[in-house]
Amino acid sequence: MPTEIMLDRKTMPGLALESKIDIIEAQNYTLPNGIPVYYVNAGTQDVIKIEVIFRAGSREQDVPLVAGSTNAMLEEGTKKHTSEEIASLLDYYGSFLETSVQQDYASVTIYTLGKHLDKALPILEELIKEPSFPQSELELYLHNNKQRFLVDEQKVRVVAAKNFPALLFGETHPYGHRTKLEEYDGVKKEYLEAFHKKYYSAGNCAIIAAGRVNDTLLNKLGDYFGKESTNQKSQFATHNYEPHSSAEKINFIPKKDAMQSAIRMGRVLFHKTHPDAIPFQILNTILGGYFGSRLMSNIREDKGYTYGINSSVVFLQHAGYFNIGSEVGSTVCNAALVEIYKELERLCTEPVPADELQLVKNYLRGNFMRSMDGPFALADRFKHIWLHNMDYSYYEKYVDALGTITAKELMEMANKYLQKDSMYELVVGAKGK
Amino acid sequence: MIDFERFTLANGLKVIVHRDTSTPMACVNILYDVGARDEDPERTGFAHLFEHLMFGGSVNIPDYDNVLQQAGGENNAFTSNDITNYYLTLPAVNLEVAFWLESDRMLSLAFSDKSLEVQRNVVIEEFKQSYLNQPYGDIWLEIPKLAYKVHPYLWPTIGKNIDHIKYAVMDDVKAFFKKFYCPNNAILAVSGNITVEEVKRLCEKWFAPIPMGNPPKRNLPVEPTQTEPRKLELERDVPASAIYKLYHMGKRVDKNFYTMELVADILTDGNASRLYVELVKNQKLFSEINAFTYESLDPGIFIVTGKLLDGITLEQADAAIQKEIAKLSVAEVQKDELEKAKNKVEAQHVFAEISILNKAMNLAIFELLGGAENANKEVEKFFSVSEKDILNDASSLLNEPNCSTLYYRSKPKV
Repeated sequence: MPTEIMLDRKTMPGLALESKIDIIEAQNYTLPNGIPVYYVNAGTQDVIKIEVIFRAGSREQDVPLVAGSTNAMLEEGTKKHTSEEIASLLDYYGSFLETSVQQDYASVTIYTLGKHLDKALPILEELIKEPSFPQSELELYLHNNKQRFLVDEQKVRVVAAKNFPALLFGETHPYGHRTKLEEYDGVKKEYLEAFHKKYYSAGNCAIIAAGRVNDTLLNKLGDYFGKESTNQKSQFATHNYEPHSSAEKINFIPKKDAMQSAIRMGRVLFHKTHPDAIPFQILNTILGGYFGSRLMSNIREDKGYTYGINSSVVFLQHAGYFNIGSEVGSTVCNAALVEIYKELERLCTEPVPADELQLVKNYLRGNFMRSMDGPFALADRFKHIWLHNMDYSYYEKYVDALGTITAKELMEMANKYLQKDSMYELVVGAKGK
Repeated sequence: MIDFERFTLANGLKVIVHRDTSTPMACVNILYDVGARDEDPERTGFAHLFEHLMFGGSVNIPDYDNVLQQAGGENNAFTSNDITNYYLTLPAVNLEVAFWLESDRMLSLAFSDKSLEVQRNVVIEEFKQSYLNQPYGDIWLEIPKLAYKVHPYLWPTIGKNIDHIKYAVMDDVKAFFKKFYCPNNAILAVSGNITVEEVKRLCEKWFAPIPMGNPPKRNLPVEPTQTEPRKLELERDVPASAIYKLYHMGKRVDKNFYTMELVADILTDGNASRLYVELVKNQKLFSEINAFTYESLDPGIFIVTGKLLDGITLEQADAAIQKEIAKLSVAEVQKDELEKAKNKVEAQHVFAEISILNKAMNLAIFELLGGAENANKEVEKFFSVSEKDILNDASSLLNEPNCSTLYYRSKPKV
C-alpha cells in the first residue's frame, strides 16, 4: 500500500524522444549487364526478400486488365513447368511468391529462407523470363476474377474506391480507369505475350533485395539476371497525365437497402517531389491519418457514426491525390458529411493548437521509426523514394519538418488544398434524409 | 527461437520478457484471459464491446490514445472467443509510458457514460460493416450455431445480434471489469530493445501495487460429440453460391490441431494443393476453395469452404469435396506432400519472428496455453506429425456424421 500512496499515477513519465533517427540506407550494386540492384543487409533472421521490378504497370496497358493479367499469370506456367509444378517447387522449401501490379510498375517478389536461396532463384528467373501463359490457366484466371468482381460490386466500399480515381482523373486518364465486367472478355493470350515481351525485359528492370544479403547473393543475382543485354530498352507510349476531373463535384451511386454508405472525398494534388508534399502529409495526419485524428475523434469517437474513417495522400509517379474514406450508417450519412466538411473548414480557419501539433509530431516520429524497423521495411522505404527519383535527403527533410513545422504553415496548407469547394465527393449506398 | 525470461508478481501478474536489440522499438502485449466464451448467453458481444471501452479513459488518465501517440506509440487490440489481447509498439526509450498506461487501466477504468454510448454505436457500425452490409457477411453469424449447440462458441465474438450490444448498461461494464480485468487474470509480454532489469523495475513500480482479483474458475458446458450430419440452407442475394463444411476437431494444444493444420495446407494452400488442383483447375467446380482450422482453446472446428462457379449445383460441389477429403482416410499422404507442408510451416515461423510484436503476442498466448517455452516447440510439433497420424485423424474427423454443412445459395435472378 505505501508504494501506491507515493506513486504519482496522474503525471506522465518523462518522454525521451531521440533527436537522431538512424536510417540504414540501401546499397547499390550493378549486375554485369547493367541491371541495378539495391539492397539492405539487415535483420536477425536468415530470410531474404528479392523484388524484381519492371515499369509494367497498368498505365502502360493498351487493353484493360492486361498489365494485371500478365503479372498474375507469370506463376501460372513456364516453358518448362506447369503452374502446379512451380508451386510445388517453391512450396517444398517454404519459399513464397508475390506478384503485384500498381499503376506505375509491376513486380515479382520472392521470400525465402537464406538456406534455400539456390532453390528459389532458378524459379524466379524462369517465371520472369519464360512464362508460357497457358490458355486454360488464363481462362480460369479470368473466369474466377470475373466472379470476384461481381462479389466486389456488392461492397459499397469497393465500389467507392473503384470509382473515385475516375472522378478525379477522368476515365480515359492512365490513373482513372474503372474496370468493367465485360473487359475480362477482352483479355487475350497474345496481348499478354506482347506486353511481357515489351516490358518485362532486362533493360526495363531493377532489383531490390533485403534481409541477409551478402556477396554470394549478389553474385548469384548476376548468374540468373545479369546475362541478357540491357540495350533493348522498352518503348513507352507518351501518356497525357493532365487530369480531367468530373464536372460534378457531388456524386452519388445508389445501392438499394444499404445499411451503410461508403464515403469518398478528395482532390487531385501534386507529386511527391513537390515542396508541399511533406507539410501536407503532416496536415493529413492531423485530419485523418492516425487513430487520434480529427475525423476519427469526431465521427467515430464522439458521434459513433462509423467503425472507422481515415484520410490519406497517394503519390503516383505522375500525379498525387488526397482522399478521405469511410463507411457510415446510411441514416447518418448526411450528418457525417457535414462533420467532414466542418473538420476541413476548421483546419482552414483555426490554427492547430500547440499540444495537438506536438502530439502529432511525436506520433509521426515514432511512426517513422516503426516504418524503418526491419530489413523488409527498410527496403520498402527505399523503394518509395526510388520510384519517385528521390534520394534519402527526402527522409531527412521529413524528419526536419517534424521538428520545425508550425501551425501557421499548416493553416496555409489547409487553405491551399482543403477548401470545401475543391473537394470531390462520392457516396455509394443510401444517403438517408 | 525466441529467448525469454519469466517472472510473476506477488499479485499474480505473469510477465515475459524477450530482448531484441536489432530494433529501436519495444512492444508491450497484455493478454486478458477472457473472451466471448465467458459471456452471459443473454449478453453476448460484451467482451468485444468491453475491449472498445478500454480505450475510453482510465481512472487517472483521461485519454489513452492521446498519451500513447505523444510517446510515438501505436496500439490495437482484438477479442476472440477465447481471449482479449491489447498490444502497442513505441520507441523503446519511452517504455515507461506504456507501463503507466497499461497499469492504470488495469487498476480501474473511468467508466464514462459518454464512452459507453459512443462505443455501443461504433460496435453496431462494426457489426453492420463486417456482417450485415456485405455479401456473405452473415455466414459468420450462422456458422457457430450450426456447429455448436451448448458450448459458448455457438455465438460469434461480435455477439448474437445487435440488440445485445444496444442494451449494454454501465453496471454490466463495471461488473465485467471487476470480474476479469485483474493482474492474476493477465499475462504481460514485453519485447524489443529493453532489458529484463528495466522491465522488472517498471513492473514493480506500476503493476505490483494493483490488488489481486478473484477471476472465476472457468466451467463451460462441454459440446457433446456430434453423431449425425447437420445441414443448413440459406438463400441470399449474392453472385455465387458458397458451401461451408465444418468438422469438429480438437483444441489448440491437442495433437490433432497440428495434424489438421497440415491437412489444411495439403488440401488448399497454393496452386499445387489437392483441392485447388482437382476441384478448381481440373473439374472447374469452384472459383476458390479454402480449408483452415479455427485456432481455438476449447475443441474447435476445421472448415472447408468454396465459392461455386456458375452452373454447378451445391449438391455436386458437396459431393466433390467429400470425395477428395475421403481420399485422406483411405491412403496415406505422399511423403513429399507432407514434407512440403512442414517446410512451409517452418518458413512461416522464421518469417514471423522478424517482428517483435509477433514474438510478444506469441509468448503471451503460449504462456496462457501452458508455458511460453512451447512457442519454441511449435515447429518440432509439426515435424513430428506422420503420414499415419494424418490418415488416422482424417478418418476419425473428416466424415459426414462429424460435419455440419451450410449451403449458401445464390438467389436465382428474376
